[in-house]
Amino acid sequence: MSHIIATEGLTKTYGARTVVDELDLRVPEGSIYGFLGPNGSGKSTTMKMLLSLVRPTRGKINVLGRPVNRHTRHDLAPHIGSLIEAPPGYGHLTGRENMAIVRRMLDLTDRQVERAITTVRLREHMDKPVRAYSLGMKQRLGIAMALAREPRLLVLDEPTNGLDPAGIEEIRELLVTLAGKGITVMVSSHLIEEIDRTASVLGILAQGKLIFQGTRTELFDRSVPDLVVETPAPERALALDVPAVRAPEGLRLSGLGEDDTAALVRHLAHHDVPIHGVWRVRRSLEEVFMDLTGRRGLV
Amino acid sequence: MRTAERLELSKMRRLRVVPMCVVMVAAIVALTATHLGSESARAGFADPAAQPWEQLLLNYVMAAAMTSPVLVAVLAGRQVDIEHQGQGWTLARVAGLGPGRVCRAKATVLGTLLVLVVLVQTVLLVGAGLLAGIEVAFPLGLWVRYALALALADLALLCVHLWLSARIDNQLVGVGVGLLGAFYAVFSLLTPPAVAYVLPWGYYAAISPVATGDGGRLVEATPVYSLLVLFLTVVVVLFVLACRRFDRAEGGPA
Repeated sequence: MSHIIATEGLTKTYGARTVVDELDLRVPEGSIYGFLGPNGSGKSTTMKMLLSLVRPTRGKINVLGRPVNRHTRHDLAPHIGSLIEAPPGYGHLTGRENMAIVRRMLDLTDRQVERAITTVRLREHMDKPVRAYSLGMKQRLGIAMALAREPRLLVLDEPTNGLDPAGIEEIRELLVTLAGKGITVMVSSHLIEEIDRTASVLGILAQGKLIFQGTRTELFDRSVPDLVVETPAPERALALDVPAVRAPEGLRLSGLGEDDTAALVRHLAHHDVPIHGVWRVRRSLEEVFMDLTGRRGLV
Repeated sequence: MRTAERLELSKMRRLRVVPMCVVMVAAIVALTATHLGSESARAGFADPAAQPWEQLLLNYVMAAAMTSPVLVAVLAGRQVDIEHQGQGWTLARVAGLGPGRVCRAKATVLGTLLVLVVLVQTVLLVGAGLLAGIEVAFPLGLWVRYALALALADLALLCVHLWLSARIDNQLVGVGVGLLGAFYAVFSLLTPPAVAYVLPWGYYAAISPVATGDGGRLVEATPVYSLLVLFLTVVVVLFVLACRRFDRAEGGPA
């Protein structure tokens, strides 16, 4: 599988503070790469380094098969669209005038600009001043600006930030549409439910470290499903110092492997705790994410 | 015209830059030329000893000292504020235009506009003098020297304000500094010339080619033009260095 982005030991420090720590990212070409992590985990800094907006302290970045540095930055720029932090847009100008600035800035054709406007479904609002736009419309205009150059890679930093559920759904649909056109999309969020259904590959960042990278299935495989013990006498089990919490069926235990499960059943049976059933419960993606990020996934 | 400068012109739309300049020019012309309608002034229009052109020029110096620092601060503030508000620094940077390059383009476009403003207001004032009926010979050299010096002072202060507006995203600071600068410029007209050279805004007074001599008679003053040129050179060099620093720094200039 070819990777449109590949980093090696990518690190950024500010004084003694390490914001991004030895990142080895692999973003497959044609994928929607969901870049997840709590606020302040280093997602934006990483994306800025990929876009040459921030200089890495050390490490290597390869984008579109070429190392990112001062010499290649100019050649790579036309192939990368981006939306970093807040969406860009001059509030005193209309959407159309903003797009005209982008067209001139990037030396694009009218056709490219019109196509981007159509893709983000903003055509009927192009003659309004941007300051009158809703946040969702501003985000879509920002994406149109990023798309206008017809990039092979789109880097979007928290594009759903501050949007209502309808706005989030709209951005989600847009990402799927873009991926369908062969554009690789790297999209960050601190809320897993915003991108878990759209992302084909996930990268999870916590305190500057990449703690997981792979598909959704691989992420589930990594987590041990909870164990439910159906018993009418949970208090007797809890009195045995079993690390469980009460559940409607009896008890629920987290992080127990196969051998530990067998030992638990033996232990409970040995102390005459009635067991009516034992089964595994698949955890939600959010629970897995929360565990991986040390319960800092939500704000 | 290069792309960055054309982009600045596009961004200027709806910022009401031209109406603002028109209002300022109108203010300067009104403040300067109002006395042309008075009986006492009219009586001296044909008398070289009454120095009607020198009197008009001195009024121009005072009006320009009062309004030019404000105009420069407001123009720089508005043109830079849109970058802070609209994430323009990042938008430009991913397109290969560093914040320093953007600031230099703003300096070029606004500088051209300010030179035009000086030219228009100077021509309007001379026209007002002629229309009012001043008959004594027009001291062309005096007026040209002042108009040139005023344009140079505007350009130097524009660089200062662009840098300030880029560094501090609250534009009230820049406009506040401009207002204080205007006060200092007017105050400098009443102080010994050496005081005027202390702060940049004092140059609006220091460049006056006429001064009040003994007995209230207006005499030709000799501003230290070399100091003005040195000041402009230092400011431009510092501005270019600051712009390079903006380009090298991570993120926006603020």
